[in-house]
Amino acid sequence: MDKLLADKHIAVRRSVRTFCERELRPIAAEIDQEARFPWDIVEKMAGLGYFGIQVPRTMDGAGLDAVSYAIIIEEISRVCAAMGLCVTVHNSVAVYPLMAFGTDRQKERWVRPMARGEKIGAFCLTEPNAGSDAGAVSATAIADGDDYILNANKVFVTNGGVADICLIFARTDPAAGRKGISVVVAERGLPGFVVGDLENLCGMRANPVSSIRLYDCRVPRDHLIGRAGQGLQIGMAALDTGRMGIAAQAVGIAQGALEEAVQYARQRRTFGTPIENHQAVQMMIADMATQIQAARLMVYRAAELKDKNAPFGQESAMAKLFASEIACQVTDAAVQIHGGYGYSKAYAVERFYRDARVTRIYEGTSEVHKMVIARSVLQSMG
Amino acid sequence: MTFHTIVCIKAVVAQAPRGRIVRSTANNRFNPFDLPALETALQLKAHYGGSVTVLSMGPPTGRVILAEALAMGADRAVLASDPALAGADTLATSTTLAAAIRKLAPYHLVLYGTRTADSDTGQVGPQTAVALDLPLVTGVHAFRPADNHLQVERTMDHLVESFEIDFPAALTVRPDICPPRDIELAGLAQAFDDQAVETLGLADLDLTPEEIGETGSPTRVVSLKPCKRERQCQFLEGEPAAITDQLIQQWTEKGLLD
Repeated sequence: MDKLLADKHIAVRRSVRTFCERELRPIAAEIDQEARFPWDIVEKMAGLGYFGIQVPRTMDGAGLDAVSYAIIIEEISRVCAAMGLCVTVHNSVAVYPLMAFGTDRQKERWVRPMARGEKIGAFCLTEPNAGSDAGAVSATAIADGDDYILNANKVFVTNGGVADICLIFARTDPAAGRKGISVVVAERGLPGFVVGDLENLCGMRANPVSSIRLYDCRVPRDHLIGRAGQGLQIGMAALDTGRMGIAAQAVGIAQGALEEAVQYARQRRTFGTPIENHQAVQMMIADMATQIQAARLMVYRAAELKDKNAPFGQESAMAKLFASEIACQVTDAAVQIHGGYGYSKAYAVERFYRDARVTRIYEGTSEVHKMVIARSVLQSMG
Repeated sequence: MTFHTIVCIKAVVAQAPRGRIVRSTANNRFNPFDLPALETALQLKAHYGGSVTVLSMGPPTGRVILAEALAMGADRAVLASDPALAGADTLATSTTLAAAIRKLAPYHLVLYGTRTADSDTGQVGPQTAVALDLPLVTGVHAFRPADNHLQVERTMDHLVESFEIDFPAALTVRPDICPPRDIELAGLAQAFDDQAVETLGLADLDLTPEEIGETGSPTRVVSLKPCKRERQCQFLEGEPAAITDQLIQQWTEKGLLD
């Protein structure tokens, strides 16, 4: 395993793990139960560069590669998946499209403070009737003089309750179907920008997932990212990167659950021996570790391709599909190893079990991923 | 001359499951006792200006902790590494570090942690200071920079000793001297992508093979085994006077009282 990673990656993992063990581990259960966004820790993470992982150092980012990014998300999620979510969504689907499609002026204005973690980003695609079917968004951005007038009802926005810079997917040309969708930046605090109630979720509870509604919200025309009508292309490019992050998150959740299960299996005794000595438990541990290893290699492979500027969309989709599915299986097995205690909030596996579930849903459901992968495989085979 | 601090650091073994030691980059760790020494040096740099050099002796796998030190803010990282250095005890290690430090002169301060997490002798700092003929204060837990000297404190026998030391000097610092800073991700990117860890081999150190490695080591670890503590806790019961009598009787039987 280690040989696949450079010394830099080992050092990145070590520094993030040290930070997360000291700062996040002690509060992970509490912020989950209280559904509290830990601003003090987030500010420390910002100071260390967690909010601009792949942004160049000249733009106040950390200037790291995609493999480092995957490792960082994995390590945060191993301790606290909700904070892993906050960091991955900010870096991948908010910062990345601005870096990739924004003008120099837009990058200066938005990416620089986002990389410093002074402003948090959100990706606003999903609506009550659009998500997997991204082309069905009904939000509008209608040109009016030098401005766009935005009207939108965006739901399940990760970081929604704390986001300053929101990428809104809206129709600039309502008659043009899928080709009429564009990305327009809306900043928190504008007249007509309303943050809805926080969702009361099953897992990822420390992330302030909310709706964001825009009522005749007026933004200058230079808030358009890329070209008018380029929205879905930007969205898909953002999601290629985002999915790698969710895959890394799922690996981290599974790894955290495995470690808890092993620790418990060493302490808990039945029939006169620690349960780690029972073959039934060993079989589960073997499956869990093997699934995690396979998923992790898939994530690093996708990241490595991205670092080489090679196409990585298919690998990213496969990694996300596989990692999220195994995260659910691994956390389920971890609960099973804990027996009744695993069903109690007294043990961390209960939280991992809840947190894992959504990785099969957000940034594309497993079913949508299978559609994407099948299309890619069929095309590649002529 | 601008202020120059040299911090000696070690890559210790992170884990040795069932007593087996595997030295690899992933199984190395920055000796936690050395981190406060580096932090002290970085804080002195913030006060005096100048530069911080980190120095380590060991196999090439130690490069990663030197890069971590660069990421924390050290300016230069040097690894004394040569197959001939293998098998060094604390004396041969001190001889090697002293030779490397002479190469890095001029300097004002040489800093060490009090000990290492894997071999725990606490000898290398003091021995190196002796080899370099430097004044040394051990176990320092507080420091205050002044114009041409440094004020430091240590605690001995429940008394706090305050020293004023002129440069150059050597210190071993206690872990509680100051909490080490976290590593910034940008620092890691810069350390690994743009900065270099320099290597000093035997030829660079002006040492003879007799002085270093296994040959230059007058001590050898013959064996290592976990020690078993067979403590027993016994509760005496009854009236206080009777308990006292029992206690005195037991102590006398064990030869603890005449």
